[in-house]
Amino acid sequence: MTRLLTVLIFLLIGLILASLAFGDIPLSWRELFETITGSPEANLQNVMIVFDLRLPRVLLALLVGAALATAGTIALAVMRNPLAEPGVLGINSGAAAAVMVVIVLLQDPPAALLPAAGFLGAVAMTAAVYLLSWRGGTSSLRIILIGIGLSSLAGAATTLLSTFGEIGDVQRAMIWLAGSVYDANILKVRLLFFWLIIPMALAWMSSRELDLIRFGDNSARSLGQRVDLVRGVMILLCTLISGAAVAAAGLVGFVGLVAPHIASRLVGPSHARIFPVAALTGASLVASADLVGRVIIAPAQLPAGIVTGLIGAPFFAYLLWGRRHARE
Amino acid sequence: MPVNDKNTPAKLTGQCVSIAYGQHRIVEDLDLIVPERRFTALIGPNGSGKSTVLRTFAGLMAKADGTILLDGHSIDTLSTKEMAKRVGVLLQGPVAPEGLTVRDLVQQGRYPHRSLFGRWSEQDQDACEEALMLTGMTTLADTALDSLSGGQRQRAWIAMTLAQQGEVLLLDEPTTYLDLAHQIELMNLITVLVHKHGKTVVAVLHDINQAARYAEHVVILKGGKITAAGPPDEVISAEAIADVFGVKSVIIRDPVAGTPLCVPL
Repeated sequence: MTRLLTVLIFLLIGLILASLAFGDIPLSWRELFETITGSPEANLQNVMIVFDLRLPRVLLALLVGAALATAGTIALAVMRNPLAEPGVLGINSGAAAAVMVVIVLLQDPPAALLPAAGFLGAVAMTAAVYLLSWRGGTSSLRIILIGIGLSSLAGAATTLLSTFGEIGDVQRAMIWLAGSVYDANILKVRLLFFWLIIPMALAWMSSRELDLIRFGDNSARSLGQRVDLVRGVMILLCTLISGAAVAAAGLVGFVGLVAPHIASRLVGPSHARIFPVAALTGASLVASADLVGRVIIAPAQLPAGIVTGLIGAPFFAYLLWGRRHARE
Repeated sequence: MPVNDKNTPAKLTGQCVSIAYGQHRIVEDLDLIVPERRFTALIGPNGSGKSTVLRTFAGLMAKADGTILLDGHSIDTLSTKEMAKRVGVLLQGPVAPEGLTVRDLVQQGRYPHRSLFGRWSEQDQDACEEALMLTGMTTLADTALDSLSGGQRQRAWIAMTLAQQGEVLLLDEPTTYLDLAHQIELMNLITVLVHKHGKTVVAVLHDINQAARYAEHVVILKGGKITAAGPPDEVISAEAIADVFGVKSVIIRDPVAGTPLCVPL
């Protein structure tokens, strides 16, 4: 475990350094070193590129990745379904619909309104899914089914709105939704960090509850767990975490699904171990997706969300392939 | 072994218990007594409400009416955790998440004994080791659950409920899907738990002869009602079998145990 974490942290440091060095204006390792250490030989342009542009961007990518992975780990355990990810709760579709509404209906909305709208849309949608699936208690399957239903409803509304919007507005919304960290700044990074730290810590501390709730409602209850309470609290944490990630970076798909699976394959079924490994894996995934998206067709950029989608699809196939002999 | 039920205090008591799925009442005005430190078998045809009764007595299903007493106190006053400390439950076909070892599973049994962020204590460790030992799973403790045979897996689940260290064990069809050797092994384990460790065990069983041979108290259910309850000698008769299962039979003595043995005609 310690060795795995060390490897992951080194991988992450490597990614950060690469993200700081590569780009439209590539820096040599020597220049990068001089810039970071604040040596008098560093030139001002490099200082600005590294500290004002690339550092916030890679930090935001790391935070978003860790958040999505944590939220995905929670969703996977609470829904007890290998395909469950925060999107199933309606988080993505809610955010998308809200952003589209704001962009299409308001003339020239202020930029700060989009993340807020995205977050509120995600929360409202999750609340709707949760409340509609409540029938003297919740069940994972009901939440999944209602989540999928409401999500496609919201998706239809988003598409409908986009046909009425100004082309320019819709394009803006699409770019926002594609999931990117291009407009990162240090304020955004700080805000997201302080927002995430409490729910993510709480999630990690509830590892044992997640270990148990995966056994199913009846087994968990017979062992003394208040299943509905735990599920409600965990869904709330999941929403706070992934809603914030969506607000910060739009829709970065597949990380919430892939990172927890990779983590549980690496460290087994205990959530106390899955959480840190999944968070580091998710952070690496989004950071590398952003790096790849920035350099692969430079000077144009691919949004990180599209790159994670490209990585996600083959992983899905791998997951199916790996399970082809599984029981059930 | 003859037991005089009149002298045995009741561990679990149901008074006028009614259970409903929606509007549909499955069990009506059920009075059930589970004697302390005895093995009670619930038998009856499919759909007679055996599993429903067991789940309700475990506090997993809400009852529509009536009272269930554990040591004379209503289980409604117990929190989920307190209940789990005293009553272990093994339902039919339990499913564990992928990748667990036997030890991982058994350790879940300590959940009710730990506070929200409480550490794993020596007591927790001892309880798990004891549960593994009683079920003969010590050597398999670090084996993946998925790679075990059906009988071993069932024992692992029982070990988990034993790690709860409750006085009562409720088992829903614990022998179904097990071969004969594993069924006998499980019945012997229950006997040991009852007589050596003072547990009160209630099990839903399908095999009447198994119930007659191993249980000291047999409760026969039909259509959500108790048609007979008492020691196997008193309860299991050709009339009762005909009435409850609609099967004609003769009852002879089990040549080995001397308990009633039902032979269908």
